[in-house]
Order: sequence, then structure tokens, then C-alpha cells
Amino acid sequence: MQKKFILNIFILATATALLFFINLFFGTVKFSLADLQNPSIANIFYEIRIPKAFTALLAGAALALAGLLMQTLFRNPLAGPYVLGISSGASLFVAIAIMLVNSFGLGDHYFVGKTIISISAIVGALLVTLVILFISKKSGSNITVLLVGIMLSQILGAFQGLIEYLASADSLKTFVIWGMGSVSNTTNKDLGLMLPVCGVLFFSSLFLAKPLNALLLNESYAQNLGINVAKLRITIIVITAVLTGIITAFCGPIAFVGMSVPIACRLLFKTSNQLHQIVYCILLGACTLLFCDSVCQLLSTNFSLPINTITTLIGSPFVIYLIFRSRTLN
Amino acid sequence: MIELKDLHIGYSFQKRPSTSSGTVFENLNVEFNKGELIGLVGDNGIGKSTLLKTITGNLKPLKGTILINGKSLDTISAKEISKNISIVLTDKIGGFNLTVFDIVASGRIPFLNAFGQLKTEDEEIVKQSLENTGLAELSNKLIDELSDGQRQKVMIAKSFAQQTPVILLDEPTAFLDYTSKQHLFKWLKQMCVEQQKTIIVSSHDLEILFKNVDKVLYLKNDKTFVFGKAEAIKTYFA
Repeated sequence: MQKKFILNIFILATATALLFFINLFFGTVKFSLADLQNPSIANIFYEIRIPKAFTALLAGAALALAGLLMQTLFRNPLAGPYVLGISSGASLFVAIAIMLVNSFGLGDHYFVGKTIISISAIVGALLVTLVILFISKKSGSNITVLLVGIMLSQILGAFQGLIEYLASADSLKTFVIWGMGSVSNTTNKDLGLMLPVCGVLFFSSLFLAKPLNALLLNESYAQNLGINVAKLRITIIVITAVLTGIITAFCGPIAFVGMSVPIACRLLFKTSNQLHQIVYCILLGACTLLFCDSVCQLLSTNFSLPINTITTLIGSPFVIYLIFRSRTLN
Repeated sequence: MIELKDLHIGYSFQKRPSTSSGTVFENLNVEFNKGELIGLVGDNGIGKSTLLKTITGNLKPLKGTILINGKSLDTISAKEISKNISIVLTDKIGGFNLTVFDIVASGRIPFLNAFGQLKTEDEEIVKQSLENTGLAELSNKLIDELSDGQRQKVMIAKSFAQQTPVILLDEPTAFLDYTSKQHLFKWLKQMCVEQQKTIIVSSHDLEILFKNVDKVLYLKNDKTFVFGKAEAIKTYFA
């Protein structure tokens, strides 16, 4: 078991490193390693490509981990930040924050502007997660939770549309580009915010493995196994909201990664051990978004496609396939 | 030893708005001793499961106290309770790649490190529990592939692996065939005698229950209870 785990990590880590390296050389400007002597190419490489590849890696890993935590908490394999409207909650609050930041001219102060937007996204994600948790407790049905999540997503989307309609031309442009989802718009400064937050949460989540293993049975059994279920629930909600919020703030809402990657990990690695699943999800999530971003760059020579086009094209058929595999969905 | 003192069980008003008070059963005063196999009987909805969940701390008592070896349940941490009391519920467990081994091994969770890694001794205990319940050959099967009776045995094996001095079983015989029921009671009896455990079993299989248990707690429909030797309580069902 342990040997298999180490081998799988090695394979996934190698694939991540390889996809990261490939991603560095995919973009509208084509160059090779030798071209890095050229200052303008080096500038593109260090100021655009490296932050883009790191963002894809972090965003994929963060959303996949958030998805895994939510699926275990709700005991629902179809749960995920995008499907349940949590990304929409973050998006709405980001839209409000962008409008306020632009109105008060706070966009000129980098950290003030970015911090307000990030915190707003986290608060939006947190509020929707709490609503979903409340509905899950009331209903107990996986399908109800899912339907409410989808409806909530629509309602929040409508409010966001209203804000966009009322927004100034500058803010509207920012919304539209950001709303398509992209890992290309982040800078090294942005990474300075994202990297420590995600790093700390990735590491902390490893310590949730034991309580999550107990929670796989159900909440009553978890409690009887000495787990403080109320504390665990809050911890999971905070981690998923912060991960989803911060990624949505910088990359926009990214579809399907959060839901599909944990399911793919369960299908591929056939283990219920949550310590293993956490590591698998982080690595496979990173691989998935690096791959999707590389495909976005490949399909167009003059500009990069919005990443949601690819994640949806790959993610949706996968989810439809899973819906027909009733056993996997329990 | 478990003592129930003036115990009122049920659900808080907020959780059960449909009922006027949420109280399921009142004024329970009972002592369960070490080495006793106890039967818990009564009609559906009388409060057997509620009582078992209250003793494990899953539900808070509405009034009164539960003492475990003289210490009030309120003052004992969840972790300490998990090392003293294990429970088998009627809930169906499944999905998420859970195998028979995984579920039985979850009984060791209170004793594991922060990452939940099983040590050699934990694996030995899990294997022993699987063998004792006749599940060794199904160890690597997914729980979803088992029959209801086999699932029931898996949860019982999990409870054995938890190695607690007190074991509570909520209708463990519900899906078992006659031979498995007999085996189950044989193991339970053996554990009570050899390991001085206190085991409480709720069941509607009165014949096999009365044949095997030492004492019976009967929760009656008029909301009173009787507790005593199995032969004495059996007369209420004559």
C-alpha cells in the first residue's frame, strides 16, 4: 500500500513537473530555452510565463483539494466549488469589490486593491458554503443539495449580471475578462499572495486526513471515533472557502476542476485513505489545469482561449459519464 | 460500569419542532455492570436507538446524568469516550472506495497518529476482528458489493477493533441469518466473560436475545421501564 502510494506520487509529481515545463513554452510568443539570452524574451519568460504556470499549478491543486474536502463533508461525489455555486458567491463579491475598488481609486494601491478583492471572494465563498451546508443538513439528499447549488449559482450570476450592467466601462471590461477564467493575468506579485496562502492550506489539510477518514462513515460514527465533528465541519468550510475565494479572485471562476479531479482520483487510485487522496488531488489538480492551459495556448496562435472553454469541454462529458455510473455516485 | 441517573432522553425542541417537547423517554435509573451482556427491548420508536446514541454522547441528555466508571459523560472528552464506548448503528455506510478492511480499520482511529497511519499492532487487531467475524476473505471487497447482513457484520467487526470496554449494538441482528445471529451472541457472550466488557444489544429477535443475555432493559409503551434478569423480564412477553 505504502509502496503503491509512493509510486503514484512519483508518477504524478513527474507529470506535474513535465506539464509545468511544457506550459512555460506555450503561448502567443514562441521561443526556446536558448532564446532566454534575449532580454525581451527573458522578460516574457520570467514576468508572464512563470507566474502563469505557477498559477495554473496552484489553482488546479487548490480547486481539486477544495472539491475533495466538500465531497467528503457533504458525502456527495458531485459536490464541488463551481457546481454548488461557491465560485459564483466568490465571483459576485469580487464583482462588487472591483466596482468599489475602481470607484474609490483603490486599484492604484496594489496590495489594498488585491487584498480587498481576495477577502471579498473568500467572504462570498464562505457565505454560499454555509447556505449549502444548512440545506444539506435540512434535506440530506445529494440531489437536493446539487439542485439548490445550481439554482443558487444562477441567482448569484443574475446579481452579478446586474452589477456588470450598472458598472462603468472600465469595470465592465475587467469583469468580462476576469469572468472567463484565466491563469494568464497573474503577476509575480499576485503569486506572492497566492503561494503562501495555498501552501499553508495544502499542508494543513494533511492533518485532516484522520478525521476525514472517520467522516467517510458518517457524522455519528465519526463522533464515536473521537472526532469533534462541529470543529471539523468549520475547518473544512474555512479551508474550502479560502482556497476557492483566493483562486476565484485571481483567476476568475474555473469550472469543473473542483468536482472532476477528486472523482478521477477515486476512480484511478481506488483508495478511501484521505491522506493519499489529498496528495493525489493536489497533484492531479495541478496536472489538469496545467494541461488545460497548455491546450488553450495550443488551439490558438494569436491569443489564448479562456481556460473555462477547455475545463468545461473536458469536465462536462466526464460528469455525464459519471452520472451514468451510479455506483460511483453512491 | 455505566450508570443512568434520572436520565431524560430525546431531541432538543429546535431539532424536532413537530413534537411538543422532543422527549422520547424519561426518568431512566439503571446500572450496567462489567461483564454483563444486556438486552434492550421495546417497540419501534420507544427510544432504544435514542438511548444508545445518548450513552455514546452523540445526543445530549435532556436531563439527568450518565456516569462511566463514576465519571460524568459531560466531563469526558470525545476522544476518551471513543476509547471507552463503541457503537454499531443501523445507518448504511458505503461509497468512496470504502473496503471491508478500511471500515474495520476505522475502529482504530482513536488510537492512530495525526495522519491516521495504522501501525503493525493496529493491523493485527483489525485482522483479528475480521477473522472473529468471519470476514477475513472479504477484507479487500468494496462495502457496496456486500449484502445487508455482511455489511452489518463489518460494522460489528469495526466495533470489536475499537477494543472498548463498552460496546453498544443497535439492532445488530436485523439483517443476519439465524446461524450468524447465534455466532454473534456467542462472541458477545465470550467477550463479556473473558474480557469483562459491558455489552448492550437492542433487538427485536426476542427469542435469541432472551436465550443469551444476562439482563434486559425493557422500555414499555406506557413510558415506564423494567430492568432485571432475563428470565424475570421474559415473563412480560409471555
